[in-house]
Amino acid sequence: MNLPSTIRAAADTLRDHGGQARAGGTDLTARAGIGRTSGPFVDLRGVAELRGSERRPDGSVRIGAMTTIAEIAADPLVTAGHPALAAAAARLATPQIRTVATLGGNLLQRNRCWYYRNPAFSCHQSGGQGCPARTGASLYSAVIDRGPCVAPHPSSLAVALLAYDATVRTHRLGVVPAARIYGDGDDPTRDHLLEPDDVLIEVTLPPPAPSEGWAHHRAAARAAAEWPLVEAVARVGRDGGRLTSVAVAVGGVARVPLRLPEVERAVLRDGEAPESLSAAAARVADSCSPLADNGYKVELLRATVLEVLEQALAAPSAKADVDTPAREG
Amino acid sequence: MDLNVNGVPVSTDSDPDAPAVELLRDGLGLTGTKLACGNGVCGACTVLIDGAPGASCLLPTAHLEGRSVTTVEGLDGAHPVQRAFAAHDAMQCGYCTPGFVVEAAAFVDRWRAEHGDVDPGRAAVATAMAGHLCRCGAYEGIYAAVRAACAGEHDDPASAPRPRVEAFEKVTGRARYTTDILPAKRLEAVIVRSPHAHARVGAIDAGDVPHVDLLPDDRTLRYVGQPVLAVAAATRSQALAAAARVRIDYSPLPAVTRPEQARAAGSPLVYASRDERRAAPRSGEGPGLPGRWQGNVRGPSGFGRRQATAVRRLSRAAERGDDRLVTAVFTTSVQVHTPLEPHACVARWDERGDLHLHVSTQAVTDVAEQAARRWGLPPERVHVVAEHVGGGFGAKGRLGVEAIAAAELARICGVPVRLVFDRSEELTDAGSRPGTRTELALLADASGDLAALAVDAHGDGGVSVDTPTALFANLVYGTAPRRLRDFDVVTNLPPGAPFRGPGGAPLLWALEQGVDEMALRLKEDPIALRRRWDGNPKRHALYDRAAALPMWQRRNRGAQSGRIRHGVGVAAANWPYLLNTGAQVELEVREGRVVARAAIQDIGTGSRSVIADVVAAELGLPADRVRVEIGHNNGLKGASSTGSKTTTSIGPAAQDAARRLRRLLGDAPSVAHRLEASEGARVVGGRGRDRHGYLTPVPLGGMAVGRGFAGAVHVAEVEVDTRLGRIRVTRMWAGIAAGRIYSERLARNQCEGAIIQGIGYALYEQRHIDPATGVVLTDNLEDYRIPGIADTPEIEVYFHQEGWEHVNGGGVGLGEVAAIGVAASIGNAVRDATGFRPLDLPIRPDRLLEGMRP
Ligand SMILES: Cc1cc2nc3c(=O)[nH]c(=O)nc-3n(C[C@H](O)[C@H](O)[C@H](O)COP(=O)(O)OP(=O)(O)OC[C@H]3O[C@@H](n4cnc5c(N)ncnc54)[C@H](O)[C@@H]3O)c2cc1C
Ligand code: SF4
Ligand code: FES
Ligand code: FES
Repeated sequence: MNLPSTIRAAADTLRDHGGQARAGGTDLTARAGIGRTSGPFVDLRGVAELRGSERRPDGSVRIGAMTTIAEIAADPLVTAGHPALAAAAARLATPQIRTVATLGGNLLQRNRCWYYRNPAFSCHQSGGQGCPARTGASLYSAVIDRGPCVAPHPSSLAVALLAYDATVRTHRLGVVPAARIYGDGDDPTRDHLLEPDDVLIEVTLPPPAPSEGWAHHRAAARAAAEWPLVEAVARVGRDGGRLTSVAVAVGGVARVPLRLPEVERAVLRDGEAPESLSAAAARVADSCSPLADNGYKVELLRATVLEVLEQALAAPSAKADVDTPAREG
Repeated sequence: MDLNVNGVPVSTDSDPDAPAVELLRDGLGLTGTKLACGNGVCGACTVLIDGAPGASCLLPTAHLEGRSVTTVEGLDGAHPVQRAFAAHDAMQCGYCTPGFVVEAAAFVDRWRAEHGDVDPGRAAVATAMAGHLCRCGAYEGIYAAVRAACAGEHDDPASAPRPRVEAFEKVTGRARYTTDILPAKRLEAVIVRSPHAHARVGAIDAGDVPHVDLLPDDRTLRYVGQPVLAVAAATRSQALAAAARVRIDYSPLPAVTRPEQARAAGSPLVYASRDERRAAPRSGEGPGLPGRWQGNVRGPSGFGRRQATAVRRLSRAAERGDDRLVTAVFTTSVQVHTPLEPHACVARWDERGDLHLHVSTQAVTDVAEQAARRWGLPPERVHVVAEHVGGGFGAKGRLGVEAIAAAELARICGVPVRLVFDRSEELTDAGSRPGTRTELALLADASGDLAALAVDAHGDGGVSVDTPTALFANLVYGTAPRRLRDFDVVTNLPPGAPFRGPGGAPLLWALEQGVDEMALRLKEDPIALRRRWDGNPKRHALYDRAAALPMWQRRNRGAQSGRIRHGVGVAAANWPYLLNTGAQVELEVREGRVVARAAIQDIGTGSRSVIADVVAAELGLPADRVRVEIGHNNGLKGASSTGSKTTTSIGPAAQDAARRLRRLLGDAPSVAHRLEASEGARVVGGRGRDRHGYLTPVPLGGMAVGRGFAGAVHVAEVEVDTRLGRIRVTRMWAGIAAGRIYSERLARNQCEGAIIQGIGYALYEQRHIDPATGVVLTDNLEDYRIPGIADTPEIEVYFHQEGWEHVNGGGVGLGEVAAIGVAASIGNAVRDATGFRPLDLPIRPDRLLEGMRP
């Protein structure tokens, strides 16, 4: 085990000795248990620079990669200025996971495909060939199918970060838009594009918008602690009565978390009358190509997008109010 | 590496990458912390790390360096929430309890610091406890306990009464389960399982590792996950490594993994010969029904009344397009028991050649008898111990592969051997309720009476046969003509096992929705229709109560159109009354107390407390003067915790024993003052016969079918989000007619748990298989979805206690009848809310959206 105290030392160790960075270890320990990783692990918990969050002079908010999910959910900077991120954090996994799991680990965790997570199978993602999910049990598979692998990207926080146009800084890439670390999902061997010896350092959220509505929703059968079938975040900016911006990001439906620019443009153009919103949400169907078992995700994606749009438009303004149940369906 | 555990400094050199739960349990012996899912889902492994709850199964040991860890043992039984859990009976088997307690302790402290001593309400408790699963479904008690502790109601250590006698052991983590038996000198065993759905096994080369062959006689494997052999080594990881080195020659054979495929002409056969078919495992509880084979289909085993009349009436009604003919095909998914304590055994042979088995079982005496037979021992030389059992639900009813392998390896190696299933094994090959496909036809005549009924049920129990389902339609709705046929469709999938009301739950899913549909056709109130059709007087009392419920009276009539819709549904259930006729309880006066012994076990149903309550009441003693010792085969005749028969068997035996002791001690209303002087007094009581005897003239294996049926009526209220496909059960009423209730709070807990398992069956639980290979994909608690605390509706349970005067003790079992109708009541409520009748279980969001599509 390795316990570096600086980012450079961590990156150098990874470069020179291989292995994997370890943050909270929740995903790595689960994967080690099924033989999907074997270490050695380079623990990031000694690196002070990766911790904490703060408001920068320009109003943007920096969150260190080792910040825990529970800390993000409760951080007044986040709940006030970027409430959809706080909501996504507060609702993912379980309280006992959120206290140890980190921002960096959440963004860089591996997917939850039940073939990848079962040692009986081998596929693109586990060093083999082919995709048994595509022809097998595809109930939870991605419905926006853009590549050989159809495992939905697991990160809930990434969905919110995309909606906020956040950037991430890594040791080797420098500062890049959050979407860049995922690419377009056509590489079926990985869930993010960071090199094995790279270290994710921090996330930066742009300064909060002065007045906006927001909503976050996870569609699932059980009330809590279940991976969402579809997850979505919407933000709408207003100037007086006029819509000035719309952002919609979704998860659970594609190899990577996605923004939905066609939907956003349609709402901006056609306004918020119920028929216009329905028509805008219905556009998601164009990019869907379901497999045998996941056709319902087309409908559920449309419904979830409509849900967050309606809620965000109905919301008075950005208020840190993650506990309001009305915001969750 | 240094850390602090429960206030004590600890130095360890254990593997820094291993999960912390291993250090706590195996390294430090703090077995209150449980390992149940290993996947961060269930919360059983929760500990406080510098005061914050964390899942120790996914926490690298390295991350404890310099930290302060509090386990359940560290709370010392002194936290108010521990007293609250005991007082509100917030547990059944108790295996999840330490995890809940640790989380709740942190929550209660934080809540009170921030809000003062006020009740946080259900929603806040649900959010705080969202990371914990209780398979027994003790959530109602958990809500009550956490809320009361927050409100400061349990600060006084002179605590409120505890309905469950072993509650304190369970809330402190002191209760020892089989998985907690960790002899210092022992080997750990693991099972090597088939990677093929169908294969013949040739040579096996295990090298010099101690191993035992677990193959069936024909050396043919018929499902992925079937045991091939077991190996033992000093540690579990060494055993796993040894298992990986075993070389096995498999000759794969063609396999069938889907029932539709198995039924098709020319499909590969699971059982090719008569002998193979005869050796097929059974998933049922009873003696097994006869059935002819055709390819992979076995059956029918037929039952009914005036079958030809039934068939004739139904086909004529179909020809004339009779509106009073209801037909539909219903399906149910395979439901997995998945008790939180997995199947486990620690086996040891002593110097005298006696066999000692710690085993997680529902049947200590049956296991002992089967072990004695298997190893050719006289019964008194097999010693089975099951002090606490972390749930069973039917899956732990016999001597299983975990015990056979552990005992064989212990014999070869001459040391104790421990074998514990991991969650993947538990969810793959430890028992499941077979799936079903049920064709139902129901005809009413011109006056609205039941004219004919036909049920054809095809069980999907993998390699196992005997899944009686249609059979149970013989027990309900009078004597109208009916044809009931059961079939098995065998596939190369793991075998089923009896599961809480086997056959009853899938039958009622079909039948009770059929009756509901008929009520709609007849434009009659569904409760009124049942009342007319159902002659059972005990259920009539329940129908009257149900019809008067505000949620029933206020229910919406007519079609709804909004996005969020509400519905109410009803279902009735009928279940045979079983008992162990010979069950015994022994009482002995020891050191001023009465010690009660019985050869039974407590899997969470509260059998310890039933004995304690009966004995204390009969002898006029305070609760602390009675001690109950169970969980051993001790020469007494026992009762297995299956078929809802423990309480009705053991309660009267305890009563009989107590009466005998009272007589022996001078027949005073209270014998308290006589105990000191009566040291050593000893009596044995038995389960006296019922008036009018039993339906089975002679007991079969000690078991009899008694006269009368336990009854239940469930009324469910749901809220359906038609946009997002989500169904929430908001309220549940259960009326139970099982006679005298021995221990009220514990019985209510059983019924609440039955409802929660029924909600799982109705809405979430489904075993998924990879069709190409037959591998179980839902082999973890993330993908196999059981209900959480926030999925729990407000529950009200009503006991109708009359009508069982002929039964010795006046009460019969209720654990099963309280479960089997739940799903149908929810199905009917969904139909009421949406107009869509769900035919397939579980009613997943995708199915609801599909069904609602215009
Ligand atoms: C029951 C359950 C439910 C869950 N539900 C959800 C959910 O709904 N939504 C969701 O998003 N997640 C969910 N999760 C996943 C959970 O969020 C992740 O396990 C967690 O966020 C991983 O964080 P970690 O710090 O423990 O990561 P680790 O296990 O330490 O690391 C994960 C990966 O990230 C890499 N990594 C971590 N930090 C860095 C860094 N700074 N630089 C470079 N590489 C790094 C590691 O090398 C590793 O490959 C769930 C988990 C469980 C157990
Ligand atoms: S979807 Fe991706 S992870 Fe799943 S089997 Fe296919 S390639 Fe592997
Ligand atoms: S055992 Fe750790 S969460 Fe289930
Ligand atoms: S009491 Fe919760 S799992 Fe049994």
